[in-house]
Amino acid sequence: MRETRLWSWHLLVIPIIIVLLGLHFAIMHYAPVFYGVSVEEARNFEAMIERGKSVAQLVLYILLLAAALYHGLYGLRGIIRELPMTPALGKIVDITVICVGLFIFAFGTYVTWWTFSYPVGG
Amino acid sequence: MNSNKPAYNNRLGIKGWVYAGKYTFERYLYLGHRLTGMGLIAYMLLHIIETANRMRGVVAWEGLMGLFALPLFKMIEYALFAAAVFHALNGVRLLMTELGFFLGRPKEPVYPYSSSIKRHRPLTYIIMALAALIIILGGSSLFFP
Ligand code: HEM
Ligand code: HEM
Repeated sequence: MRETRLWSWHLLVIPIIIVLLGLHFAIMHYAPVFYGVSVEEARNFEAMIERGKSVAQLVLYILLLAAALYHGLYGLRGIIRELPMTPALGKIVDITVICVGLFIFAFGTYVTWWTFSYPVGG
Repeated sequence: MNSNKPAYNNRLGIKGWVYAGKYTFERYLYLGHRLTGMGLIAYMLLHIIETANRMRGVVAWEGLMGLFALPLFKMIEYALFAAAVFHALNGVRLLMTELGFFLGRPKEPVYPYSSSIKRHRPLTYIIMALAALIIILGGSSLFFP
C-alpha cells in the first residue's frame, strides 16, 4: 500500500512539473519568442531578481522544486533498487535519497526566499 | 547438475540494453526515458547548487552566465532541453498507457494476435514527431536569437 501511494505521487506531481517546467523553459529558452528579450537578457542578475520579487514566482519555484525533486528522486530510487541488493542496502538507498531530497529542497527554498527578500535597489 | 548455471544466459551483456535484434520501438523509448530521467535529476541537483551562486552577488552570477554562454555549455544546455522535452512527451504517453487510454478494447486472443502496443503505435509516432518539432524549434531560438 505504501509503495502504491509513493508511486501514485510520482505520477500525480507530473501535471505540476509539465506546467511549471514548461514556464521555466518558456522564460529560459523561448525568451525571444514570448518576451521579446534575448536569452542573455532574460538570465541577467537584475532580470532574475526582478522575477524573484513576485509572490507568485516564490510559490511556483518552491512548488517546482518539491514536485520535480520528488518525481526525479523517486524515479532514481526505483532504478537503483531494481539492482540486486540486500534489504539492508535497500534501506540505506532509501534513507540516502530522502536525505538528499530534503537537503536540496531546504537549500533551494532558502535561495528562492533570499531572492524574494533581496533589498530593492540594493 | 547444472544448478549453478544461470537460468538465463545473458549473452549480450550491456550491449543488449541498446540492441538485441528484435527490440520494438517502445523498448528504445524506455531506454531513452530512463537515460533522460537520470540525466534530468542529476542536472537538477547541480542546478539548485549552481543557481545559488546568485547569493554571491552580481559579479559571481554574471561570471557564471558568461561561462554558460560558451558554445560548449550551449550544446550541453540544448541537449538537456531536448532530453527534457523527450522525457516529458514520452512520459505523457506512458501516463496514458498506464491509465489505459488509447490501447483499444480488450479482444479475444484469436490468431493472428493484435497487440495493444500496435494499436497504440500511431499515437506513439505522433507524440515523437511533436517532440522532434519542439526540440527543433527550441534550438532555433537558442542558436539564432
Ligand atoms: C516534464 C514532465 C515529466 C513527465 C510527463 C514525466 C513522466 C514520467 C513517467 C510517466 C515516468 C514513468 C513512471 C512509471 O512508469 O512508473 C517517469 C519516470 C522518471 N522520471 Fe519523469 N517526467 C517528467 C519530468 C521529469 C523530471 C523534471 C525529472 C528529473 C528531475 C524526471 C525524472 C524521472 C526519473 C529518474 C524517472 C525513472 C525512470 C525509470 O524508472 O526508468 N522526470 N517520468
Ligand atoms: C538548461 C535549462 C535551464 C536553464 C537555463 C535554467 C535557468 C535557471 C535560472 C537562471 C534560475 C534562477 C532563477 C531565475 O532566473 O528565475 C533557475 C532556477 C530554477 N530552476 Fe532552472 N533552468 C533550466 C532547467 C531546469 C530544469 C530542467 C529544472 C527542473 C528539473 C529546473 C528547475 C529550477 C528550479 C527548481 C529553480 C529554483 C531554484 C531555487 O529556488 O534555488 N531548471 N533556473
